Amino acid sequence: MSARPTPELPLYFGANRELFGLFHPVEAPASHAVLLCAPLGQDHIRCHRIYRQLANALAADGTPVLRFDYFGTGDSAGDSEDIDWDRCVDDTVEAANELRERAGTDRIVAFGARLGGSISVAASAEARFSNIVAWDPVLDGSVYVARMDALQKSLRTDSRRFMSPRSESDVAGQWIGFATTTRLRCQLDELRLEAAVAPTMVLDSLADASPHCWGRLVGDESMVRRLEPATPWDDLDRLEVAILSRPLIQTVTGHVRGTH
Amino acid sequence: MHERAFRFGRASHLVGIAGIPAAIASETGVVLLNAGLVHRIGPFRLHVDLTRRLNALGYATLRFDLSTVGDSSSSGQSQTKQEQVCADVDDAMRLLAGEAGCTRFVLMGLCSGAQNAHIVACTDPKVAGAIFLDGYAYRTIGYRFRYYVPKIFDMARWRRMLSRGSQTATDKQKDPDPVFAVAPSPRDVVRADFVDMVARGMKIFLIYSGGISNYFNHRRQFRECFGPVMSDARVTTTFVRESDHTYILTGDRHRLVERIEQWLSRNFPVPAVGTSS
Repeated sequence: MSARPTPELPLYFGANRELFGLFHPVEAPASHAVLLCAPLGQDHIRCHRIYRQLANALAADGTPVLRFDYFGTGDSAGDSEDIDWDRCVDDTVEAANELRERAGTDRIVAFGARLGGSISVAASAEARFSNIVAWDPVLDGSVYVARMDALQKSLRTDSRRFMSPRSESDVAGQWIGFATTTRLRCQLDELRLEAAVAPTMVLDSLADASPHCWGRLVGDESMVRRLEPATPWDDLDRLEVAILSRPLIQTVTGHVRGTH
Repeated sequence: MHERAFRFGRASHLVGIAGIPAAIASETGVVLLNAGLVHRIGPFRLHVDLTRRLNALGYATLRFDLSTVGDSSSSGQSQTKQEQVCADVDDAMRLLAGEAGCTRFVLMGLCSGAQNAHIVACTDPKVAGAIFLDGYAYRTIGYRFRYYVPKIFDMARWRRMLSRGSQTATDKQKDPDPVFAVAPSPRDVVRADFVDMVARGMKIFLIYSGGISNYFNHRRQFRECFGPVMSDARVTTTFVRESDHTYILTGDRHRLVERIEQWLSRNFPVPAVGTSS
């Protein structure tokens, strides 16, 4: 199936029109649509381009897509300090319903990178996803919290960034450019991701040294695909470099095509 | 919520978010240009924080993506980079004029965004002010003096060099790969541009950070680079030594927003009748 994509539509939606999204429509009626769930923090900015590329590729393939920002992120309402895990899950449900209405289909495939993948899994029942593709999802939130803390600590004395080391109070209460609250920190610390109600495929591009066991998320190891090269999610020297991966776009579009 | 999402421009190819104050108070609109390839929300959401703060003060704002950046596409027109930037920003100013009634504009850009704002500010009479974050700068004699002299008297550094060998020392002196980079433009040209802008009555705010210490390292360097025009009453300069290039720390970002807010209030005051708290 091939349809010429029309330009994406920027919009605000949700109860108080607080959520920003970009809807990628298609000309012909579609049997399913894809919801792109963004990661949080700096990963969100680093993934913006690949999310757009993926959305365009899916739309060109005849699949309508909605990209959106959770409350407190991107162009959505709220401050960065307002980011809340439960609200992210609720916003994902809201976005799925918005996509159903706009795309005219009930079948929604969710895609998310890092915490975006975790959110899509956590929202899967209420959002009624028919399928999930999670790219390096965070399974154990405490590991993520520890990694963010370590990165933030390293940032303080990063001589490539600062002329002089910054004080501990200067870098406190933040993770790589974004304020973090005790509430969000606790929510992530307690996160232990369990299998979604929908069939889930994991795209693994973590460095080999990272401990990860996708079994509890997918059950069947055949639903794990290894992507090369490894994605430098936590590299201090590349914090502001966009995450790009052509193999990811090819794999996801191929998988979505196969869910027809 | 007073933000609205737009697809706009001569080829409906640009995407931006307009922030319109509840009671439109200022005839001055503020347009934010992309910092490098970061989409319109800005590094660490700086542009969102800033535009919302300015909206609360009564300024209409537009943060948008230039052609082929962020969510914007190509216009499909055959234009030079400079023509495209000028046309994109003109589209942005027209949108804000139509939505908020703005008649004059302040442009803000960081790094390549400052370069693009500079290009437009040189030629578009609608631009009444510009905020350049880590824009054009050049290594001067003063820069080299401030850079090398402390190293000459740094005994610990000499010891390190002697013990580790010259290769290590050479490696350490390498400039880091820049995340963003401003293509050089001749200093005399940029200096003349600033003189012209000021002569036209434009107000200019240059805010440079310690994040560009590989070519800028002191507030005196503004005048070393661009001459007496930097002392003109219509030019404000600030060197934020402690901060990095993209204001990754929330405190630095908060202080930056405050600086910009104060500069705007001083140079483009909002009539008291429409000021919102």
